Amino acid sequence: MELWIYTSRRLVQIVIIFFVILTVLFLLFRLAPGDPVSRMVDPNLTPEDAQLLIEELGLDQPVWIQYFYYLKNFLTGHFGFSFHYGRPVVQIIGDRLPNTILLFTTSIILSALVGIFLGKIASWHKGEKTDTCLTVGALVTHTVFLPWLALIMIWVFAYKLGWFPITGMISEEVWLDPDAGLWPKSVDILHHMVLPLTTLFLIHFGSYLLIMRTSMLETLREDYILTARAKGLPEKVIRNHHAAPNAALPVVTSVGLSLAFSINGGALTETVFTWPGIGRELVFSVSHNDYPLAQASFLLIAAVVLVSNLVVDILYAYLDPRIRY
Amino acid sequence: MALLEVEDLTIGYQSQRGFLKAVEGVSFSLDKGRSLGFVGESGCGKTTLGMALMRLLPPNGRIREGRILFDGQDLLEKTDEEMRQVRWQKMAMIFQTAMNALNPVHRVNDQIAEAILTHNPSLGKQVAYKQVEGLSRLVGLSKHRLRDYPHQYSGGMKQRAIIAMALACQPKLIIADEPTTALDVIVQDQILEEIKNIQKEFDISIIFISHDISIVADVSHDIGIMYAGQLVEYGAREEVFESPMHPYTKALLSSYPTLTGEKAQLMPIPGEAPDLIHPPSGCRFFDRCAGARASCRTNPLVWLEITPTHKVFCYQCGRQCGR
Amino acid sequence: MSGKSLDNRRVQKFHWMSRFLSGWAIFRQSFLGKIGLTLLALFALMALCSFIPPLVDPMYQPMAGVDPEISTVTGPSTRHWLGTDFMGRDLLSQLLAGARVAFMVGVSAAFMSVFLGTAIGMIAGYMGKFADTLLMRLADIIMVMPALVVLLMLAALFGQLSIWFIVFFIALFRWPGVSRVIRAQTLSLKHRPFIEAARVAGASHLRIIFRHITPNVLPLSFLYMTFQVTSAIIIEAALAFLGFGDPRTISWGMMLQWVWKTGHMFNAPYWLLPPGICISLITLSFYMLGRAMDEVLDPRLRKEGQTD
Repeated sequence: MELWIYTSRRLVQIVIIFFVILTVLFLLFRLAPGDPVSRMVDPNLTPEDAQLLIEELGLDQPVWIQYFYYLKNFLTGHFGFSFHYGRPVVQIIGDRLPNTILLFTTSIILSALVGIFLGKIASWHKGEKTDTCLTVGALVTHTVFLPWLALIMIWVFAYKLGWFPITGMISEEVWLDPDAGLWPKSVDILHHMVLPLTTLFLIHFGSYLLIMRTSMLETLREDYILTARAKGLPEKVIRNHHAAPNAALPVVTSVGLSLAFSINGGALTETVFTWPGIGRELVFSVSHNDYPLAQASFLLIAAVVLVSNLVVDILYAYLDPRIRY
Repeated sequence: MALLEVEDLTIGYQSQRGFLKAVEGVSFSLDKGRSLGFVGESGCGKTTLGMALMRLLPPNGRIREGRILFDGQDLLEKTDEEMRQVRWQKMAMIFQTAMNALNPVHRVNDQIAEAILTHNPSLGKQVAYKQVEGLSRLVGLSKHRLRDYPHQYSGGMKQRAIIAMALACQPKLIIADEPTTALDVIVQDQILEEIKNIQKEFDISIIFISHDISIVADVSHDIGIMYAGQLVEYGAREEVFESPMHPYTKALLSSYPTLTGEKAQLMPIPGEAPDLIHPPSGCRFFDRCAGARASCRTNPLVWLEITPTHKVFCYQCGRQCGR
Repeated sequence: MSGKSLDNRRVQKFHWMSRFLSGWAIFRQSFLGKIGLTLLALFALMALCSFIPPLVDPMYQPMAGVDPEISTVTGPSTRHWLGTDFMGRDLLSQLLAGARVAFMVGVSAAFMSVFLGTAIGMIAGYMGKFADTLLMRLADIIMVMPALVVLLMLAALFGQLSIWFIVFFIALFRWPGVSRVIRAQTLSLKHRPFIEAARVAGASHLRIIFRHITPNVLPLSFLYMTFQVTSAIIIEAALAFLGFGDPRTISWGMMLQWVWKTGHMFNAPYWLLPPGICISLITLSFYMLGRAMDEVLDPRLRKEGQTD
């Protein structure tokens, strides 16, 4: 019950923060050099269409009225039209969001689980070869420059070995085939997903492994571990049932703290692998001066960050019985 | 035959400065249904002794010499797996830092039932949880609170839960290491009363370990006084309290006005305990002893029997009695 | 009175010196720390050497120098030890110049963010109440914002970003982590007797902050600086890789952007590998240095599993 109160309080907070971000973005937009109209309105539009769009966005009004137009349009989902795609921006980012969430959540969950598992093993074999290999491996993969790792993955596994497609998320021959059912389509997406997922996984699991290892070693010195030993429990039960659930809590915290880092990495990975997600759309729109699309992608990413932070906090409260908000 | 017989036990820790003998040459025996208390200031080796009995020393701890005969079996000969079977089933423990002895992420009844089910897997979950309810009644813990997490308990409730857990497999011996230290005085008395009743009811042997001589006096049949890793006086409760022989015992006792009355702060005995990596020769209490003579340093110490049940490890005492 | 304070200062200096020496003794035992320091020395050497090639021949200018005989990608040769890029520029001199930029970006951004973080953390911790709440809320918001994404958005608004703007912005994004730790440290110092004594003696707030609290939180700030360097280098490199770096400065990220965008990543490993390895290794070495310093400052991490 208290969790619901906490969650709703956090949601209100998120709305306030989001409102601040919106306002700052509006101010920067007005402060930036150049003409606001030409930023928001595609120069290729017919004068009539352009005039309509200007009126809808309120760009012919005084600045403070424009602000209300801006808020109203945001709330009703009017982000303008993408210069490049010539479609409403909302449609484009709506298409991209599931792809980003698929890659992002899978990679975070996978790397956290594997990090926890390997960190547990490393701590159990502290000082042995297994531990050294895992720790050094984690340190190295954790600090590798992500876009470079992505390029190397493509070079080795897609170009040299040809095991995976070089870029993209789907192959046209599968998706245009009218007979193809859900199964071949899913397999196709998975096939495309392997390399970007592996890249993100390799970058992230290392820090979780290191945190889990340290946390596990600290937990094993706790009194309740001594109790578990005295109870005559087998070592495996002590490790998995008594130490690991406690030791994994700091990992969950660090997943939350490193979300910003993960989002950066997600945008880079999507760009290199041309994965049709929001991060790639942001990079693409910025380099093609497609401001309406850039603005919408940015706001959506900000929303994703805020919400996933909340999700991690709720997960933590669920895992640690001592936390009751 | 005694339930537990400890002979000449020497335990130490490998440290960076050398081997630290935390316990040296300790021998005692404990009969079924009796209780024995060890008293000494912190660092005297009493906790190490308790841990060694369960073979739960930290990784750098070693049992150098001696034998632990428990229930007719030498515990030091056992493999880790055999030892695991002895733990809790035959010998349980009530821990020193009660506040953290329960795992914070598991419910209390799960933790108690786990002890039962580990050693009697054939019992089945339902029976085990029924037994947990019975145990909770025994230690005065409401069964409605059993599904709580440890952080929802008060200090006294946690200690009761730990006692219930210690009784879970009906062990023959319970080692209680500072069972009431973190509790306030009223709860402390309740818990001690509880332990005494349970001991009588189930005929369990108990080893009490405490820095507080009044607690040990309250619950033990026999008392061992420890100083700097050695047992310095050992005897029946009445003998040790009514006619203490060792100067350290006398100092400990004088810091309490009466045995059963108000508790006072342990009065500091001047000086510090000796370095246990390079212990001095002769009596270890030498530097702090008011009645020390030069001969205490040079002459070998021997146990002196005052009565068949009371002995002391002091050269001066020996001379006085011999005269 | 003045003689006494001079004495105090001398005692404090001596104290700092002995603290440094004992810290160094622990640091030297750390395997990671030694590797990190060695690698960093190598990178510093690279940065210093970056001035040499342009002196040898103007065609070795990392940005503007073009080999008169080569105008395309070539592999390593005696003339160009690492080969040339798509315009015939020397890759080795670009790599060396990249080391210089990486240090510049990393150290200056880290310095700024640590300066900001320490100042804000001390203010929040010392002032408490409203200022504390406001600053820490702000820190919370900034902390969850992905710096790279925000920088991209700024590039969309303001066009080409200069290298100093990028450095400044990285610093703006990295102070919250530092300020949290410094705030906690300040809070614990605030009620120590020597601070109370200074307050009773009539010292001003500024004097208490600068004279008494600052010296005590600085070691912690320095530790955080090494971690900040790492993230600053990565963010700058990522931005340059995406094509939004400062076009007037050459960085490793930009070298990678060129090899990627000109489509030579599959046929010119001599171009693809060195900058990526350099970025990864410099982050690794700063990271290892930070961990080793962590061990110096946090005794709990020193010898795991040692009881008594």
